[in-house]
Amino acid sequence: MNKGKRPFGKILMILMILFFYLPIGYMIIFSFNDGKSLTSFTGFSLRWYRHMLESQDMMEALYTTFSIAILATFISTVVGTISAIGLSKSKKVIRNVMDQVNNLPMMNPEIVTAIGFMLLFITFKIEKGYMTMLLAHIAFCIPYVILSVMPKIRSLDPNLADAAMDLGATPWQALTKVIVPQITPGIVSGALIAFTMSVDDFIISYFVTGRGVKNLSIVVYTMSKRVNPSINAISTLVVVIITIVLVLINLAPILAAKSRKAETVGKRRRLLPAAAAVFAAAAVGICAVNLGGGGSNRPFEGQTLHIYNWGEYTGENIIGDFEEETGASVVMENFDSNEQMYIKVANGESYDILVPSDYMIQRLIEEDLLQKLDPEKITCMDLLADAVKGLPYDPENEYSVPYFWGTVGIVYDKNKVDLEDLEKEGFNIFLDEKYKGDVYLYDSERDSFMMALKALGYSMNTENEQELQEAYDWLVQCVETMDTEIVTDEIIDNMAQGRKALGLIYSGDASYVMAENPDMGYYMPESGTNLWSDAMVIPKNAKNPELAHAFINYASEYDGAYDNSSYVGYTSANQEVMDALSGEGGDYEGINAYIPRSDNENDEVFVYNEDTKKIISDLWSRVKIAASNAG
Amino acid sequence: MKRFSQLAWPYLVWAALMLVLPMALIALYSVMEPGNSIISFSFTLEHYVKFFTDQDFLLILWRSLLIAVKTTIICLILGYPVAYFIARSREKVQNILILCITIPMWINMLVRTYAWIGLLSEGGLIQRILSLFGLGDGELLYTEGAVLLGMVYNFLPFMILQIQTSLSKMDHSLLEASADLGAGPVQTFGRVTLPLSLPGVINGITLVFLPAVSSFFIPKLLGGGQYFLIGNMIENQFITVGEWNFGSAISMIMAVIMMLLMMAVRKIEIRNQGGKEE
Repeated sequence: MNKGKRPFGKILMILMILFFYLPIGYMIIFSFNDGKSLTSFTGFSLRWYRHMLESQDMMEALYTTFSIAILATFISTVVGTISAIGLSKSKKVIRNVMDQVNNLPMMNPEIVTAIGFMLLFITFKIEKGYMTMLLAHIAFCIPYVILSVMPKIRSLDPNLADAAMDLGATPWQALTKVIVPQITPGIVSGALIAFTMSVDDFIISYFVTGRGVKNLSIVVYTMSKRVNPSINAISTLVVVIITIVLVLINLAPILAAKSRKAETVGKRRRLLPAAAAVFAAAAVGICAVNLGGGGSNRPFEGQTLHIYNWGEYTGENIIGDFEEETGASVVMENFDSNEQMYIKVANGESYDILVPSDYMIQRLIEEDLLQKLDPEKITCMDLLADAVKGLPYDPENEYSVPYFWGTVGIVYDKNKVDLEDLEKEGFNIFLDEKYKGDVYLYDSERDSFMMALKALGYSMNTENEQELQEAYDWLVQCVETMDTEIVTDEIIDNMAQGRKALGLIYSGDASYVMAENPDMGYYMPESGTNLWSDAMVIPKNAKNPELAHAFINYASEYDGAYDNSSYVGYTSANQEVMDALSGEGGDYEGINAYIPRSDNENDEVFVYNEDTKKIISDLWSRVKIAASNAG
Repeated sequence: MKRFSQLAWPYLVWAALMLVLPMALIALYSVMEPGNSIISFSFTLEHYVKFFTDQDFLLILWRSLLIAVKTTIICLILGYPVAYFIARSREKVQNILILCITIPMWINMLVRTYAWIGLLSEGGLIQRILSLFGLGDGELLYTEGAVLLGMVYNFLPFMILQIQTSLSKMDHSLLEASADLGAGPVQTFGRVTLPLSLPGVINGITLVFLPAVSSFFIPKLLGGGQYFLIGNMIENQFITVGEWNFGSAISMIMAVIMMLLMMAVRKIEIRNQGGKEE
């Protein structure tokens, strides 16, 4: 029928399928790319797959994703089926109420459901992690199972179970031998929906997880700021697993139908291959995770260290080496701002080590959230540069051991930006319309306000509301007239590729950018900047302070500190490492961003002040909203 | 037989704890003074006042609704013909086509969205294709267009599948009857096919609109850090600002708006079905 319409339909269909598969195909191709670029293919290699297999984060995420999906599917299918049978025999009032309740997670925006779970766990002080993620997944999967089982139960003859029992079956037998086989198709499709929902979930998992437990979506979300083709590799792996599962599920009934025609057993056959495929997928994930071997006689064998650190802030080998040496396993969770870290810690999430910045350490000390370090166990203090020790936030270094330090400045493309403009305008270059559309701002409330206050000639620690208001106006003018992009770590790869002319940047990221691209420069305005330092601290509620002390020493000693600093680009607190990397033949020889300046009297260190923090925090949200509304 | 009703009791308890209580907590937090705990509760409406008296917040809400409407309309325009074509195909072809559309849905949404970053970024495939036609200059990534594309890409399959389901349930003899009675193809489509597929269209609209309004990772990944929708605002309140009470209030506002819209949609659906029976 409709023969005339066919060519149009076919073209449409082809275009649609192209649209759906283009990104997936692109991703698969680039997972085999030799280079790091996401836009040009330079040759075939399995490098990113090796990278993926070596990345503990990714392997664990794979395991978490599939183990949670399988457990949540199994539990929610069983509970959902039993409850559906129960509900179908319940009073009408209860049925109607439950219909509404089950609709909640389906009809509410997902982020609202997610926040509900998060508040629930926090209010009742349930520690967030694997269990909470599993509970939440079960909770949002059950309604889907009930929804797909219910119609099948309704279509059953209500007297079926009674008949079975009249004939001598126990209620259990009536249930398992009579009712369940009749509703199997509903159960299977319910289980499939539950499995998809769980594997696919990001929003709910993101809000209910804790202690470094990450599923695949969370890993992709947190890693997406830097160019990282291993994401393509792991995604390809998931595509392959899912496709195999789906093809098996779809082929199973056809094969079953071919081998025996129209027998009732056929229906059950469907479940088996589906389950087998799901478990095979799980096995792949579990095997992959168990690749790492064990050892013995190491001081912290079998213990776990939870670190909460900035993203992209550790060397390639330090964690693996530390695990090798001590026998402990390290779980690392990342944050992109001090504020994000603070919220989790203040709400009782437990980590063994945090790496906050100066003012945040001061705040954590003031709010009694940190424990004093044991001076007998800290053996690394003498190795550290004098300039980062004894700073005002912790004058005696009773609580903190410096990790990285540096300044905040302007990264600029020497071919596009006149050094004279920079010298004349300082931070005000961010208002110079000559560079409109060519500017990155950094999504940090403290440092954006630092920039604005310094541009206006004020102290960055001002408590004067008038001055803060002026700084706010300065920033609003910037986002409204300059067509800025507000980024975090994306700035690193983008500036390394010369995508924009200017950006506000941390010195360490600038070192990395300049090492990658010699056309880039780093400028610190004469009006002063933020002299910051990030240090390792142990929170009060740490579960393994002993191991935390061991790690602090390890990361401060030459090998660990060298690995960190040379890979990341930030200035090491270890004096010897700093000299080696900035000296002759070092990775950062001749790069001015690597050595924090010490000769400008306008430079300051942040001081924490609760009231100012609140004002700045609120104003910065508004700047971002203004930027969004301007775009 | 009645004894089976006991099987539902454990779930009633579970649902009260895991589905109802969280919503109650959001409502509670949204009317609580900042820094308050549940025990020392003191009531305030300041968070709602803060939201509704601020033009910037209202503008964000408006833009979120607008982009969701645009997404829904595009999905409908693209999805309907596709669904129509699938429903018209032979059953074997139909199954294969549906499988083709379902497979991407099984692959993690974040992964699929991430894949667009490479395609859209500077020097990427899309820009190179566009530049063949002399259109390669503008930036593609980190624009509203990119966000819209990401949403359509992620939510279009829901629309197609819903419409296809209701179209394939349709009795073909109705079309023949309509033709026999002298209706042209356009008239048949307008008078028979379209009304019969309306339940699918309405379900599709719900399934696209709802996640589009509240999505926060699509704007973040494809729109960049300065692209804010209501979902990003909620995330921001909970993850970096730490004002949970205000965040809860925004969540409540969003949930209520959605509920009202869903009720309106249901009404249309019911009225429509009522019309059919006459």
